[in-house]
Amino acid sequence: MDKYYIKFILGNRLNLIMYFFLIVIFLIILRFFYIQILQNNYYATQAFDNSIKIVPIKPARGLIFDRNNIVIADNKLNYSLEIIPERNNDLSMLISRLSNVVKINSSDIKKYKRILNNNQFSNSIPIKSDLTSKELAKFVTNSYQFPKIELKENLKRYYPNGSLGVHFLGYINRISKKDLMALEKKGQKKNYIGTDHIGKAGAEFQFEKELHGVSGFEQIEVNSIGKTLRTLKTYPAKEGNNIHLTIDLKIQKIAEDAFKNKKGALVALNPANGEVLAYVSMPTYNPSLFIDGISHKNWNKLNRSEDKPMLDRAINGLYPPGSTLKPFVAIAALENKIRMPPFKIEDPGYFSINNSRRFKDWKKGGHGEVDIIKAIAVSCDTFFYGLAIELGIPKLNKSLSNFGFGKKTGIDLPNEKSGLLADAKWKKEKYNKKWYSGETAITGIGQGFTQVTPIQLALATSKIAFPNKSIVPHIRLNSQQLKQSDNLSSPIIVSNKTIAWVKEGMEKVTEDGGTAAFIGKNIKYKIAAKTGTVQVFGLKDGEVYDEEKIPEKLRDHALFIAYAPAENPKIAVAIVVENGGHGGSTAGPIARKIFDHYFTSESR
Amino acid sequence: MNLTSLQNHIFRKIDRPLFGSLILILIIGLINLTSANQLDMTNTLSQIINIILGVTFFYSICNMQTRVILAFAPWAYLMSIVLLIFVNFFGIESHGAQRWISLGFFNIQPSEILKISLPLMLAWFYQKNAYKINYRIHFVAGLLIFLPFYLVLTQPDLGTSLLLLWGGLIIIFLAGLPTKFLITSFFGLLLFSPFLWNSLLDYQKQRILSLIDPLSDPYGSGYQSIQSIIAVGSGGIFGRGWLNGTQTSLDFLPETTTDFVFSVFSEEFGFFGVLAIIAIYIFMFYRCMWMTSKMQDNFSRLLSAGLTVSLFTGFIVNIAMISGLFPIVGVPLPFFSYGGTSMVVSLISIGMIMNLYLNKTLIAN
Repeated sequence: MDKYYIKFILGNRLNLIMYFFLIVIFLIILRFFYIQILQNNYYATQAFDNSIKIVPIKPARGLIFDRNNIVIADNKLNYSLEIIPERNNDLSMLISRLSNVVKINSSDIKKYKRILNNNQFSNSIPIKSDLTSKELAKFVTNSYQFPKIELKENLKRYYPNGSLGVHFLGYINRISKKDLMALEKKGQKKNYIGTDHIGKAGAEFQFEKELHGVSGFEQIEVNSIGKTLRTLKTYPAKEGNNIHLTIDLKIQKIAEDAFKNKKGALVALNPANGEVLAYVSMPTYNPSLFIDGISHKNWNKLNRSEDKPMLDRAINGLYPPGSTLKPFVAIAALENKIRMPPFKIEDPGYFSINNSRRFKDWKKGGHGEVDIIKAIAVSCDTFFYGLAIELGIPKLNKSLSNFGFGKKTGIDLPNEKSGLLADAKWKKEKYNKKWYSGETAITGIGQGFTQVTPIQLALATSKIAFPNKSIVPHIRLNSQQLKQSDNLSSPIIVSNKTIAWVKEGMEKVTEDGGTAAFIGKNIKYKIAAKTGTVQVFGLKDGEVYDEEKIPEKLRDHALFIAYAPAENPKIAVAIVVENGGHGGSTAGPIARKIFDHYFTSESR
Repeated sequence: MNLTSLQNHIFRKIDRPLFGSLILILIIGLINLTSANQLDMTNTLSQIINIILGVTFFYSICNMQTRVILAFAPWAYLMSIVLLIFVNFFGIESHGAQRWISLGFFNIQPSEILKISLPLMLAWFYQKNAYKINYRIHFVAGLLIFLPFYLVLTQPDLGTSLLLLWGGLIIIFLAGLPTKFLITSFFGLLLFSPFLWNSLLDYQKQRILSLIDPLSDPYGSGYQSIQSIIAVGSGGIFGRGWLNGTQTSLDFLPETTTDFVFSVFSEEFGFFGVLAIIAIYIFMFYRCMWMTSKMQDNFSRLLSAGLTVSLFTGFIVNIAMISGLFPIVGVPLPFFSYGGTSMVVSLISIGMIMNLYLNKTLIAN
């Protein structure tokens, strides 16, 4: 083939292409002629008064119940007036006209503008929600004046119990741009086209996918000013699943009331299966504040408060365990074959390393002759100082880790903290300092660097009650996912003898001579427990701790762990009362109230 | 230098009939874009910037030496393939497809750049092998087309990928691929397509399917198509007047500034308006084809024809799409739709055609 042949072909084919194009363009012109001239009447009518719009149908959000079918998160029918945001919308004019019929205050307008700025889809935006029946009637009779305002029937989230249990329940808030990006990543954005709210914390966040359901949509005909004429097709929404929690709302209420105005946390578990019966973090806040978008004022109030009401202390509060760690330290020793009964010490009221530094017992003059059982019952510091030094940190931490300290428990709530089991390597990395044997000694009584969360304490206590069960704390009743995460908490391998000794020690805590003896008075069942008191404020040598003289926020934290009945445990609790003073006297009674309720209502 | 000679100097290298009709289309496009945005000038202003940028490119390419363009061809192709691979991995996702690279102040769309670099490459390739054109050469040319086609298809951008395929095949066709082979390869491709489909990953298939099946996306193409036909049809003979189209102002019409910008025009200026615009495009098309036929060498003719065909195929597909003759595949209307890359690329294409025409005798020697 030579050059000229190509040129000849090209010229020919160029013409071919040109004719092809011209024919296609001619066909397209015919098409335009057909729809613009012959069919013009039909399409002009369609455009003028019948046009199809697609409207999303939002699914009803699933409800949340406690274990006894008491509703915790409900939906309530609510009427609101909504504006479809449009270009060239004279908002102030519209609102001032509307104000003649229904009162609109400046906070409503602020809220409207805030939502408008965050609006991702062209959904209508509420200008006034929670219409009273009077306002409703007034608007309906005047609605002809407001073609651009829609009266909407919504299901609005309603938390009938106020702030009760807010830390496990969480709350919902309007979908933000950030949420939307997250949804887009998960491929869920389309499903949220008609939805305004999303779970932000607690169970509302954790079970969002199930609670939300699946959006539907309908094709409707609207006229040229946007009024609905008729529905053409409906693809109904699939409503969200209801969720049942393991929480017993009655116990929850008793527990929260028992805190009065104290700060702190409480977790009550069924030690046999890990169901969370009560989950308290004080202070609380009202989840309803968030439903319509929380105001800046309220948000700042919650965030800047010294009491940190937004902090979920049950899984995010890190506390030194104090003496509540002693039963677990005792198990570590016994499993390593040291301090086994009948081993005893004579307690002079202090322990000294190489006759140089003295570590004081909480009781001046000491406890006399002490074995490991009595050491738990009277919370003898001297006994545990020596024990910890002989055992050493690596063996101690290994045993504590078996009880779930230093790692997440795997509870089905977001953002759990893992606490800390400190050792020489950790200290080197964090402070670039050497580990001293004195630090080993105080770790033995839970006062060192070790930090635990209340949920960890509750789980560990349950494991003393049932060492052979593998449990994961959870708030979802009959949870399916749990079975896969079983390995999070395998059964503890401890000898029966060890457990028997430690249980005996914990039972003696509530008997005469124990640190929480008064908890065990006038009672039909037996409580096994351990008290703990943690210094927030370091006393100087020779200074005497006088609760009355110290400002409240520097007072000791009171801790308490317990399970009951001792012979056949049904419930285990861990309690922290911040600045509560002595563990037995402030945290103990809270446990007693829960137990009393639980066992009397159960026997009924 | 008096005014006339200054004009002569500036426009010396520009084909005035083609440039005049181009300016006319650009101005009508701006007026229409303003209505598509209901007098919100933001898009109109940035479109003016796009045009200024594009005309600058256009003008400098008109004045370039053709051999520079020839030498640049393989590098342009290589660069756009690299960009395309880059966008498939790091691009910005928009409407469920990855098409953009962000340069911070400006997003570029490599698949648009290929509308120039692919014809360039093919023309360069046939020029190189001008004396030994055979099946092997056509086959290599086919591979050169297939690579960007596949990459754009999996973004997924069905419309642009088919446009590239079509533009490329036209060049092979013009380069003298025997007719009997055309027929055999058509059936060959038909046989091959299931394998191509199976080589796609699941999510890629899903994305492509959602382009074809409107029901999979209730807010998507089925609805868009209906709304567009209503807009066009309600325009009637003389249209509803500038800014008066209810389909646009009441938000029934989607993507009024890009894919459906001509629906806005059709609604507001009616059948006569549409005829006028089509006439201008036909004139430009005819002028480009005429200029191509005057060119003397293979490179010029193939490149010029390739650019002309892909430019006006875009025009045809877009107006066929908005009038309901063609599925919604997301192809913008050249010189009319809002968008920087598309505008610059279209203007560069015209610039190249003018350059080749002007230098038609130079190259032959």
